[in-house]
Amino acid sequence: MATRMKLKLKTVFVLYFMVSLLGLVYALMQLGQRCDCTEHDLPKDRTISRLRGELHRLQEQMRKIEATKQPQKQPVKPSPPTIFVITPTYARLVQKAELTRLSQTFLHVPQLHWIVVEDSPHKTPLVTDLLMKSGLTYTHLHMPTAKDRKLQEGDPSWLKPRGVEQRNEGLRWLREDRRAQPGGDSQHGVVYFADDDNTYSLQIFEEMRSTQRVSVWPVGLVGGMKYERPVVEGGKVVRFHTGWRPSRPFPMDMAGFAVSLKLVLANPEACFDGDAPMGLLESSLLQGLVTIDELEPKADNCTKVLVWHTRTEKPKMKREEALQAQGLGSDPAVEV
Amino acid sequence: MLAVNTGSDSGLTLEMPKRRDIVAIVLIVLPWTLLITVWHQNTIAPLLAAQKDDGQDGRSNSRNTFAFKDSCSLQKREIVEVVRTEYVYSRPPPWSDILPTIHVITPTYSRPVQKAELTRLANTLLHVSNLHWILVEDSQRRTPLVSRLLQDTGLNYTHLNVETPRNYKVRGDTRDPRIPRGTIQRNLALRWLRETFSVNNSQSGIVFFADDDNTYSLELFEEMRSTKKVSVWPVAFVGGLRYESPKVNFVGKVYGWKTVFDPHRPFAIDMAGFAVNLHLILSKPQAYFKLRGVKGGYQESSLLKELVTLSDLEPKAANCTKVLVWHTRTEKPVLVNEGKKGFTDSNVEI
Repeated sequence: MATRMKLKLKTVFVLYFMVSLLGLVYALMQLGQRCDCTEHDLPKDRTISRLRGELHRLQEQMRKIEATKQPQKQPVKPSPPTIFVITPTYARLVQKAELTRLSQTFLHVPQLHWIVVEDSPHKTPLVTDLLMKSGLTYTHLHMPTAKDRKLQEGDPSWLKPRGVEQRNEGLRWLREDRRAQPGGDSQHGVVYFADDDNTYSLQIFEEMRSTQRVSVWPVGLVGGMKYERPVVEGGKVVRFHTGWRPSRPFPMDMAGFAVSLKLVLANPEACFDGDAPMGLLESSLLQGLVTIDELEPKADNCTKVLVWHTRTEKPKMKREEALQAQGLGSDPAVEV
Repeated sequence: MLAVNTGSDSGLTLEMPKRRDIVAIVLIVLPWTLLITVWHQNTIAPLLAAQKDDGQDGRSNSRNTFAFKDSCSLQKREIVEVVRTEYVYSRPPPWSDILPTIHVITPTYSRPVQKAELTRLANTLLHVSNLHWILVEDSQRRTPLVSRLLQDTGLNYTHLNVETPRNYKVRGDTRDPRIPRGTIQRNLALRWLRETFSVNNSQSGIVFFADDDNTYSLELFEEMRSTKKVSVWPVAFVGGLRYESPKVNFVGKVYGWKTVFDPHRPFAIDMAGFAVNLHLILSKPQAYFKLRGVKGGYQESSLLKELVTLSDLEPKAANCTKVLVWHTRTEKPVLVNEGKKGFTDSNVEI
């Protein structure tokens, strides 16, 4: 009886082992077969990797050409001063589109450090992802606007100043970061406040790179006019050409000036005043930093428009809202 | 190999069966662990690598639904990651002999934001390899603003112009859907392509209609490069929705349109939502955008129905689940302070 039991167990065991072995062999064969499937697609994959290799080779070539060109183009300094671009941003439908095309512009500018400050209590995955994939040197910060200072739905855009806390946070981070870095070279740089819906030409960044204190230039499509600009006589700014409240201390737009990093660090208290009346936000910062005759005119003595204060329409969502009321809205998992 | 020692059975001590049991257990478990590790390696690891890859390379268009394929092409991933880093300074990217050329057709017209729009569009296009920009102005003759801009960018371009006859032009700002804007300009570009490239020419190319106020991700251009006939993808902010997209079934074929506004159009898609292979354009020389009697939203269909059928459409952007292009519109700037005579110097170009 015992032997029969043992025999049964033995056969069961043998069977089990053979079955599992066959299964393993089958799986290995499947593995082999998968490779066979890719054999058919391998030409496509090969083309893709060949194309990518070619792309990589060409970019290497370009890099080498740039490297040999650079000694002629660049000044004696080893690396040009970094431009720190502070961009406040907030979540809305067009946010990803705006940041995408902004990053595409910045990707052309060498030595640019993008400081993105979200109006949010925490970093959002949309912006985190976008910055990671952008290929830019960046710092991702966040600072929520206090509720009473925030624009409500339906408020006109000029009712409350926007981006104040975020820009100040950018300045604060910059000051802290630079303090932690020794060496005079880390003081070389230019700070520019770039809103995420404006349009920037590549030339404006090269113009601002040589800022010693505060440099200024015209801005297109702002102040109810085709452009606003400082008026330059004898190489110095004497007054401002603007259609709206020209009596302001610095009647210009946020996109119309850049401050040298040295000046920002030398004046640790200088920041934007959220309580300033409409249109005086820029002045609230610049007043403590510079006088009008110290301003450095750029863009060909302020005769060229190299930055435009474009604004993007709010997309019409009537149908989306109607669908959502029925519970048939578009997939929220698809990021727009 | 199975040591069946019946001999030692008779002299059974407590240890023997234990050892035999252990051996038996090991021999049972071994093939399963091998099986599981092999299966694990094949499915999980390539997926993980693919996710990391996607994270590092935003331009990767090889979203891996088939993990098995990629396990055989590790080298491809490495090349992609290296390409990422040294990207910033080459503009435009060097011309490659093997990549298909993307012909981007952009109609444009003079208005205050024109230079700004074209500037930022050019900044985007400067990143795309093998791109040929066909800019068609709605004007009597080519304006110096656009000519200068095109020259300064360094892009490979063709500058055309054709004026929309006055009875077709949109009067003022009124959005008259019966007169689609840019139609004559796009048709001129199509005609130019047909006159420049012969059907027998083996040069591969893709045709894409890009309006100057939309926003395009760089990934979009790489997605459309593999178009064989007509490829389609979702577009954000059109049709009063977050995005409109083609409906794709589980075998990867387009069978309908996920839109609210007239989803029964032959091609319920926006101008920025499709690209056509150049060869198809050249082989159907009678296919143009219809000028007269086109209902609102049917302009794209008027061209596409001459070129393809629904089943020929190739869905891109991960089977039309990713949004890579946004139909942004720029606000008309408020120029109230210019007054009647114009406050600012009209010689300054904006």
